[in-house]
Amino acid sequence: MSSRLFVNLIFQVTGKVTWGTSGRPPLFTVPPVSLAHVQTAGKKDYIDLPVLNEDELDEQFVRGSGPGGQATNKTSNCVVLRHIPTGIVVKCHQTRSVETNRKRARQIMREKLEVTYKGEASDILKNKKESIQRKQDKRKRANENLEKKRLFKEALMTDFKPGDDRG
Amino acid sequence: MWIRLRRPLKKVYNCFKPLKYGFIGHKWLCTSPCVAECVPALPTASRLTVEQAVKLWTGHFQQRGVSEPHLSSQYIIAHLLGAKTLEGIGQDRLAEFLTQEQTEQTWELCSRRLTRMPVQYVIEEWDFRDLTLKMRPPVFIPRPETEELVGLVLTDLQMKQGTGLSEETSFRCLEVGCGSGAISLSLLKSLPQLRAIALDKNKDAVDLTRENSHSLGFQDRLEVHHMDVMRDADIIVSMCSPVSVLVSNPPYLFSEDMISLEPEILRFEDHAALDGGKDGMQVMRHILTLAPKLLSNHGRVYLEVDPRHPQLIQQWVEESVEELDYLHTHRDITDRSGVNQTAICLLNNYIFKTFDQEMYSY
Repeated sequence: MSSRLFVNLIFQVTGKVTWGTSGRPPLFTVPPVSLAHVQTAGKKDYIDLPVLNEDELDEQFVRGSGPGGQATNKTSNCVVLRHIPTGIVVKCHQTRSVETNRKRARQIMREKLEVTYKGEASDILKNKKESIQRKQDKRKRANENLEKKRLFKEALMTDFKPGDDRG
Repeated sequence: MWIRLRRPLKKVYNCFKPLKYGFIGHKWLCTSPCVAECVPALPTASRLTVEQAVKLWTGHFQQRGVSEPHLSSQYIIAHLLGAKTLEGIGQDRLAEFLTQEQTEQTWELCSRRLTRMPVQYVIEEWDFRDLTLKMRPPVFIPRPETEELVGLVLTDLQMKQGTGLSEETSFRCLEVGCGSGAISLSLLKSLPQLRAIALDKNKDAVDLTRENSHSLGFQDRLEVHHMDVMRDADIIVSMCSPVSVLVSNPPYLFSEDMISLEPEILRFEDHAALDGGKDGMQVMRHILTLAPKLLSNHGRVYLEVDPRHPQLIQQWVEESVEELDYLHTHRDITDRSGVNQTAICLLNNYIFKTFDQEMYSY
């Protein structure tokens, strides 16, 4: 068995596994026909996310040195994905399964690329803004209602006629 | 099944205070009283935040030479808080204090890890692809490389499904050495029409696979049998054939390498699930000899093996198993150097009587 180093090494791999890629040129054209769709939380419409080209991705697994497979029981399965053309790096350690982390890293990468490529026109950014706006509106309405109730109560407590309470 | 620690840890690690009286619940450590005396004291005065607890136990593990100190600490504490990884716990929660009960649980579980018990056994579960499976010593813990093996099998079976060749009787797979059931259950999850048979010579593995199968609701599609592929070959053939896929992560370590395994494996996992004999191919050869009798025409064998095996297997199969055709070796993608990793061998079965020209291109 090879001698074991006591330092964590990062093995670098250029992903060659086909992951439903279409072999498109680096800059994707909008809107490509066969884009997969992703639904974001709370939104009824679908968002077009760019398809990833595996040749543009550089994938690293923080694994440590030493034997693999049955000979070891390493629990590290963090995936670090780098998109070479843009330099965007996604790190994923959301789950305890390396395959799932790889899939999720790619999903996050697609969302980041969508924002990068579309800029202001990004659907993801739009959804975020709308979601924040909706929350703000909701809070505003809730506060207004509370205010109304408070004033109404005050009016009841004193001798003022009800209805004469808008401030 | 348990291997007691023969050398008292106290001799080796002497930097901790003796246990306080109120320490709770150490069923595991009762088998080794020396360890119980060396456990870091439970904090009684102040409380710890999640982040502080993780840091503290990382330090303890490091001091004791426990491998993957930071990860171990993270996984255990995340699990106690209901998450899979620390990344799954929000930033705010990291700064929250652990309750008294959570602190005690942290101490109990982390103390088990001090004995070099694998994290998967400490928290009694682990994930494999999209499944969460129960783990229990000494049943072999599924390795991440095996997720790729399942991926390959799925790709092929999904192609087969597409061509309409999956008749009711032959859309079945057989797994030899199922352990916790990871491979079979994963295949069942992804292929609703598949039926599977899983075998293991270890009764604990059979029980655990059944348990996991029930938890996932696959008990109607999975048969689990307590059988030894080397001793019960005839029964297996009569019971299980024909199947489209024979899959296995058989013990493939070389006997001489067993002694240098890390304590996590040596002390806690079933050696029979690892030791493949002098050349690591003992169990594999039995599986491959049996394969033609088990597989339908164009059925396939998928084996996870040591990187030194593929060529040897190819040679041996050419000499000894006429009906099997060596197809392909797939190297796991997490290490490009070709030295420290696993390989997956694919072999195709041909029944000469009905031999035809059709071949799946890989």
